Amino acid sequence: MARIELENIKKAFGKVQALDGVTFEVKDKEFFVLFGPAGAGKTTILNCIAGIAMPEEGVVKFDGEVMNLTDPAHRNVAMVFENYALYPQMTVYDNMASALRSKLYKTDEAEIKERIQRAAKIMKMENLLERLPSQLSNGQKQRVAMGRALVRTPNVFLMDEPLAHLDAKLRNSMRTELKEMQANLGTTCIYVTHDFMEAMALGDRIAIIKEGKIVQIGTSDEIYYMPCNEFTASLMGDPEINIIEAEISGSADEYTADIRVNGDTVTVPLPKDGAVYEKIDDMGLKRAHLGIRPQNVKYAFEPTDGYFKTTVYSYESIGNKSVIVAECGAYQIRMIAPNGLNVAIDSDVYIRLETDHAIFFDSETKKYIVRYDEATYVALAASEMEE
Amino acid sequence: MAGLTLNHLYKRYDNSGKKKKIKNDFAVKDLNLVCEQGEFVALLGPSGCGKTTTLRMIAGLEEITDGEIYIGERLVNNLHPKDRNIGLAFEDYAMYPPLNVYGNVAFNLRAKGVDKAEIDRKVREIAPLMQIDDLLDKMPVKLSGGQKQRVNIARAIIREPELLLMDEPLSHLDGKARQAMRTEIKRLINKIKCTTVYVTHDQLEAMSLADKIAIINFGVLQQFGTPTEVYDDPANEFVASFIGEPPMNILETKIINKDGTFFFTFSESNLQIAVPKRYYDVVEDGFRCKMGVRPMDVLVGGEDSQGTPEEIATFENLGDERRIGIHVGDVLMMLITEDEKRYKRGDIIKLEVRGEKTHLFNIETGERIREN
Repeated sequence: MARIELENIKKAFGKVQALDGVTFEVKDKEFFVLFGPAGAGKTTILNCIAGIAMPEEGVVKFDGEVMNLTDPAHRNVAMVFENYALYPQMTVYDNMASALRSKLYKTDEAEIKERIQRAAKIMKMENLLERLPSQLSNGQKQRVAMGRALVRTPNVFLMDEPLAHLDAKLRNSMRTELKEMQANLGTTCIYVTHDFMEAMALGDRIAIIKEGKIVQIGTSDEIYYMPCNEFTASLMGDPEINIIEAEISGSADEYTADIRVNGDTVTVPLPKDGAVYEKIDDMGLKRAHLGIRPQNVKYAFEPTDGYFKTTVYSYESIGNKSVIVAECGAYQIRMIAPNGLNVAIDSDVYIRLETDHAIFFDSETKKYIVRYDEATYVALAASEMEE
Repeated sequence: MAGLTLNHLYKRYDNSGKKKKIKNDFAVKDLNLVCEQGEFVALLGPSGCGKTTTLRMIAGLEEITDGEIYIGERLVNNLHPKDRNIGLAFEDYAMYPPLNVYGNVAFNLRAKGVDKAEIDRKVREIAPLMQIDDLLDKMPVKLSGGQKQRVNIARAIIREPELLLMDEPLSHLDGKARQAMRTEIKRLINKIKCTTVYVTHDQLEAMSLADKIAIINFGVLQQFGTPTEVYDDPANEFVASFIGEPPMNILETKIINKDGTFFFTFSESNLQIAVPKRYYDVVEDGFRCKMGVRPMDVLVGGEDSQGTPEEIATFENLGDERRIGIHVGDVLMMLITEDEKRYKRGDIIKLEVRGEKTHLFNIETGERIREN
């Protein structure tokens, strides 16, 4: 158990600046998620914490103590990898015991046995201990890899996409278990993923990484409801948030937004909201990008008051619900619909944007400006932090 | 008109050389399937279920142990792959690296000796359709995964095949590119109206793309139907748990009769769920089976709910929705809510289950138990 700090970490591979001034602090017992697209530098951060990679600049601290010059073995971190990394010739029991039997830890066998049994119980794999890795399914292998980390009492668990190789069903159940397990153990955990559902579900806090830089750090609600820019907004949520360019007009009594739809201009209302109107006034905002999530777009198949006409680009099921994609010329609008509708491609669809859920982004810098009901979401995020 | 017909198709790999006899040695067992002309059919199943073997038999890349394959009205059992008039798009793009995109797309037609002007006309016709018109001069190494896959499909359809076969064409792409490509494939197939067989292990891909889904497990067809049919009316426990994300909750249950009303009960749980009236003819007091209910048909009751009070074991906030897990015996029952409330472990909620949405499965065979 430890508090982990990174200060201005820089790391380059040849000409590529993999990490460009990464700074964050992970609290003791926290479940901290590093989230971003492939190649963002997430794994390199883990490697710097573990001591496998040496940063060119910056400091890694455990509980305030600088670790830069400590070799990986003495940092007492436990890593879990995507590809399990089990010893194929050893049974599950021996795999789990391997670290404890090493010169560094030299634990006695009775103690090892006790710890393995405890870990096996937590990971629900008591019946697997005598098997060889080749006799295990992928899900079981991942349990063993985690179990091997659990037998130790490390400063921190470093997990690199441990669920990425599992099928959807297993990933769901392991994700749920993992959170429960970490809460029970109370060990600090830093977890790398590119799956937004894992990030949202597991992280006490999430750090969004892009091209070696931290874009935003916050709780799942903060990041989902108040993304600091369009990039973050587009990562959180499936299907992706709609970003629509709008010209704002009106006065402090009532503002409206003009958007382009297949060459026409459509005016949509911007309902009155203190914070939103104030921002528009203060900034003299004439143009913005409106972020509207697919669940906040409504559709009809007949001309309806307050709806504008577009055509169906595609209609596809995403499991328990479906997505209609509407063609709007330069961009498309995604919306949620139930399964099993009879929607023909290229047929007409009428849509309405629930602008009272919109997030405003700067049309130049793509940065967050304001959102509807901002105060509610600030309070929601604050209540989350207290827990 | 049928675009593709599989009649009692069998495949057995010769493993006489191996010491250990594998018990279930049919890779494909008695597979019957009729795809209508222009239909998009997905073969869906876990890895090793025989779906790719089936595809390869249709393509003629794999010998058939027994059975018949018709493409249109033609029996193709003994036809060479090149004479079957099929287009293939596989997971790995298998492009010719020294040829540019144009050369790759044109390759088959050139090999057939089609004249140059005709080839050019066809390539120019198909390129905008697949959105590769500005890639034609590029070399394969310069392309992104999504672009490669588009070229790959263009190459398969330029021959105007009677049947298009695709084997996990999206599995190399990352989440976002995959989503975008799915939409493109769906539109494209809709435009060219070519009978298509599409192999995937991803139920979401099958659900979103296919007109019909054939779900296969251990080489045996489990169910063949539209996405709505397999989702709402699964033939057995396997299909029920394979289709849908998160998967259907499936719990062992004992049905009891309380003053003429039947309830599902569960060991080590107070939960009781009313059995839909339509099952009253097939169940009795003490009847044991499995009950399946989708996470979206389990609800959090309001203040004055009659639901069973249950303790929350897991809570996941996924942004678009929230998932709650409740222990029912040793099974974690999942439910999905779009309600904004943030729960935490240990909170008590009143659990309501839409009894009418439950399915019954045989405890041993997993077969669906249907009302009479």
